[in-house]
Amino acid sequence: MTTLTRTGTTMPATRRDERYAPAHTLAPPVDVYETDEMYVLLADMPGVQPDGLDVIAERDSLTIRGRVERPAAEPDYQEFELSDYYRAFTLSEDLESDKVTAVLRDGVLRVEIPKSPRVKPKKIAVRTE
Amino acid sequence: MNGRATLQPWQEIRRMQREVERLFSGLAPAWRWPLTGEYPPINLTRDENGLTLSALCPGANRETLDVTVLENAVTVRCERKPEENVPEAAYHRRERPVGTFARSLNLGERFDPERTEAVYQNGILRVQLGRGSEPAPKKIAIQS
Repeated sequence: MTTLTRTGTTMPATRRDERYAPAHTLAPPVDVYETDEMYVLLADMPGVQPDGLDVIAERDSLTIRGRVERPAAEPDYQEFELSDYYRAFTLSEDLESDKVTAVLRDGVLRVEIPKSPRVKPKKIAVRTE
Repeated sequence: MNGRATLQPWQEIRRMQREVERLFSGLAPAWRWPLTGEYPPINLTRDENGLTLSALCPGANRETLDVTVLENAVTVRCERKPEENVPEAAYHRRERPVGTFARSLNLGERFDPERTEAVYQNGILRVQLGRGSEPAPKKIAIQS
């Protein structure tokens, strides 16, 4: 019997061991998707300016942190409260954490984490006999 | 009737809701704004010049951001598009809302569309609504 396994069915970038900061910070909602070359993480962090943002990539972890400026006046009607953001992810060893790039645009953080060359898909030439 | 007074009960409910969400914030990944069932979430601040509306809509498509003021009501529309050319199967996690969203609020008083300004910065839409000049009171003669 042959067992087929798709590479990348486990998610190296997130899942286990996520850590959340104590109260008064918000874990931003994220999308994580995978391409042949990299993992892409998108996080909604409205109110954060580029100088209030920290993206720290270590060998086995990625931490995103954003500070917001709260308005001076309390709103008369309130559905949201601006809070600082914090979320951490575990990275697997097959990612190149030293080549992570981050861009913040319109309150959305985009982090690209390249895959190590040894796990990138490799096309195998098929010989005909 | 004072428009502010009519909005107060909701504010108290929201405040309690945020407190409950905060209590549980250590247990689960948070995206609590859509729990209200309304997107984008909106804050209103009044001052002597008028009213400021703030809506959280990070990553909105600028061409489709739209603010309409009609008499007592303001309508905010925004669209959040998913990433292009990413198949569903490539996603490991999808927590960010996508789609077209619209909110209409009755502000309890009239604002002048000519004195309305909107700015979109850092994912927050801020709309400044200025009060219009009040029409002069008109005396009505009583016919006998």
